[in-house]
Amino acid sequence: MKTARERISALATAARTVAHCLGEIEERHLVEWLEAELGHVDALDAFVPVGSHYSRAYAPENILHIVSGNTPHAALQSLLRGLLLGSRNFWKLPSEGLPEAEIFLKALSEELRMQVEVATELPEEWLSHAQAVVVYGSDETIAHFRKRVRGDQIFEAHGHRVSFGVVMEDPDYESVRLAARDVCLFDQMGCLSPHGIYVCESNGLSARRYAARLAEAMETVCAELPPPVRPPEAAAQILDLRAGYAFRSANDHRVQIWTSPGSDAWTVIYEEEPWFAVSCLHRVVFVKPLPERLADAVAPVSRWLGAIGIWPAEEKYLPVLEGLRPSRICPLGRMQEPPLTWHAEGRGLIENLVRWLDFEGQLV
Amino acid sequence: MTYEELENRLLRFVKAPEEGMFEELALEVFRFQKKNNAAYANYAALFPEPLRVEGIPAVPLRAFKERGLPLKSFEGDPVACFRTSGTTGAVRGEHYFCSLRLYEAAAREGWARAGLPEKVDYCLMPSPQEATDSSLSRMAGWLADEGAFMIRGGRLEVEELENKLRREEKPVTIFGTALAFLHFFEELQARHVKLQLPQGSVAVETGGYKGSGRELEKEAFYAMFAEYLGLPPDAVANEYGMTELSSQFYTRGLGRVHKGAPWVRAFVIDPRTQQEVGDGGTGVLKIVDLANLGSVCALLTQDLAVRRGADFVLLGRDPAALPRGCSRAADEMLTEGRSI
Repeated sequence: MKTARERISALATAARTVAHCLGEIEERHLVEWLEAELGHVDALDAFVPVGSHYSRAYAPENILHIVSGNTPHAALQSLLRGLLLGSRNFWKLPSEGLPEAEIFLKALSEELRMQVEVATELPEEWLSHAQAVVVYGSDETIAHFRKRVRGDQIFEAHGHRVSFGVVMEDPDYESVRLAARDVCLFDQMGCLSPHGIYVCESNGLSARRYAARLAEAMETVCAELPPPVRPPEAAAQILDLRAGYAFRSANDHRVQIWTSPGSDAWTVIYEEEPWFAVSCLHRVVFVKPLPERLADAVAPVSRWLGAIGIWPAEEKYLPVLEGLRPSRICPLGRMQEPPLTWHAEGRGLIENLVRWLDFEGQLV
Repeated sequence: MTYEELENRLLRFVKAPEEGMFEELALEVFRFQKKNNAAYANYAALFPEPLRVEGIPAVPLRAFKERGLPLKSFEGDPVACFRTSGTTGAVRGEHYFCSLRLYEAAAREGWARAGLPEKVDYCLMPSPQEATDSSLSRMAGWLADEGAFMIRGGRLEVEELENKLRREEKPVTIFGTALAFLHFFEELQARHVKLQLPQGSVAVETGGYKGSGRELEKEAFYAMFAEYLGLPPDAVANEYGMTELSSQFYTRGLGRVHKGAPWVRAFVIDPRTQQEVGDGGTGVLKIVDLANLGSVCALLTQDLAVRRGADFVLLGRDPAALPRGCSRAADEMLTEGRSI
C-alpha cells in the first residue's frame, strides 16, 4: 500500500473492530485528519502546494510505540497513526498484553499487518532502529526513554495528565449519567478521566445534590460497565480514601460520601472545599462547588491538565476556565472520546512525526 | 474508668501479659476512646458496636492529619506530639500523648521480646533532644545514651561512626533508619572502606526509602550489611512501626514474618470486604495497639501484607507495584508523610 489513500481505506475497515475503543472511524475521518495536520491528504505521497512553493511530508521509516495498558485507546490511536503515515511500527505492549491490540491486529489487512512488529518485552534493537519514539507512561518511564534516545530521533512523550469536569447549567441533573460514564470508562485510569466535577451553584444547582445524583448514575453505569478486577493495592487505596473521607464526613457536614453498596465499585465524595482533590482513580470521583476563581483551585495540578469536560459545552462558559491550559475542552460525556484531530499535549499528532521537504521550483 | 486506671491496667499487661486478655482489654480501650474522643466517637458511630476486637472501627492514618479533629482521648494539653515525616508543605500527621509511660513500656518490652540486646550503642538518627517531634528518636532515646546518636545538625557523622566502629571489640547494636544505613554504606563505599563488626553484633533498620527516590531490593540492602559491616542477614532486624502507633513489630533476616507483642495485634484484611483474609492471603494491615490509649487503638494502614497465622510478611506499599494510570494518581502527587 503505497499511498495514504490506499491505507486509509484499509485502516477504516480494521478500525471498525475496535470502535468500542476508538469510536466510529470512517475513511472521511482519516482524510480529515491528514488534511487538518498536513494540509492535504496527498502530502505524504506527493508535493502539495504550500504558500508560494510545494512541500511533501516524509514519515519516519520506523516508529517505536511504547504504550501502557490502562488506556487501550491511546495504544490503538498511536498505531493507527503510524500505519496511516506508512511507517513500519514497533509496538511495545504492556507485559500483560492488551486484548484490544489482538483484535485490531487480526483485523488489519496482510499488507498493513506486515508493517507491525509486536512485543511485550522491548527488543533492544527497536530503540536504535526507530526514527521516532513515542512513549506513554509514568514520569519515570518517560525519563528513562528520554535519556536513551539519540538526538536525531524524534521523541514524543505522553505522561500523566489530570482531567476534570465543570457543570455550568443543568436544571434536571441530566449530565450526571454522562459524567458517570466519563469516570467509569477505563476504570478512570486514562489521562482524560475526570478526577472530579465542579458544579456552578449560582444557576440554581446544588453541588451536593449533584453528587447524590451522580452516585445513582454511577450505580447504573457500573451495572453496564462492571469494574475490572483490581489489584489489592488499588483496593487498599480505595479503602484508605473512603475511610479518610468517612472520618471527615462523620465530623464535618461540609463533606459527604456515597459508596457502592457492599463493594468498592464506585465512590462519590462531595466536598465543599474547592481545592482540587486528586482521586486515587478506580471510579472515585469528587464533586465540589465551582469556586469564583477556578484557576486558583486547580493550581496544584495546572501543569498536568489533560481535558476539561464542560456542560453545556458552550462558548459563553469558556471564561470560567480562564487561566487554565488543558489540551482539550469538550462536552461532558465525550471526555474519553477525543477526535482523531485532537492536539494531544497541545500538538498535532501526525504533524509532530513528519519532516517536510520544500520544493520551490515548477511541478510538471 | 479514668485514663490513669486504664493505663495502669495496660502497663501491668505489657509487663506481664495474661493469656486471653487482649480482646477484653481492646474492647475496654475502644469504649474508653469512644467516650473521650469526640472525633473518633463520631466516626465509630458509622459502624456497628463491636463485639469482638476485629470489629473495632479502625481509623486510616490520614485521620491523624486532620487539623481541628485531633485524635486525643484525653483532656488538656499533651505532654508530647510526634509528627510524621513529610516534605515541605505536606500536611504531617500528629500523634498526641498525655503520658509516655505506655509508649516507653511497649517500646522497651517489645524490643526485649524481639530478642534484641538491651542497650543500643549507635543510633543512625537524630537524638530526641534534637528531633523533639520524632517518635522514633524518642523510642531510641529510651534504648541508648545521648552520645549514641550519630545524626547531628541533620548530618550523619560518618567519619566518627566509622572510627568508633573500627575500634569496637565487643558486639555492638546499631539502630537506624534504612536511609541512614544506606547513606553510611555509600560513604564507606566511596572511601573503599569495609568494616567487620565483632561477632554477635546486631543492626536494626526501620522505615523505607520513601521520598528519597531510591529503589533497592531488601536482599540487595541486606547484602550491604554483610559487605560493609560484616553482618549476615540474620544479624539484621527490621522494625515495623509508625508515628501513629506506640508498639512495634519485628523480624530478623530475610523472608521471615513480622511478629508483634501480646498487646498489639495485626489483622490482614481484604480491602474489599474488610474481613480478615485466610492464612496465606494478601491484604491490608489493620493494627490494634493497646498502647495507643491516648489516641485511637485501631488503625488502618496502607501497607500490604501476607497473613501467616497471627503474624505477617510485610509487602509494604511499593509504588512500583501500584497501578500507574496515564492519569496521575494521588499517591504520586500528594506527598504523604510517613514515620521515620
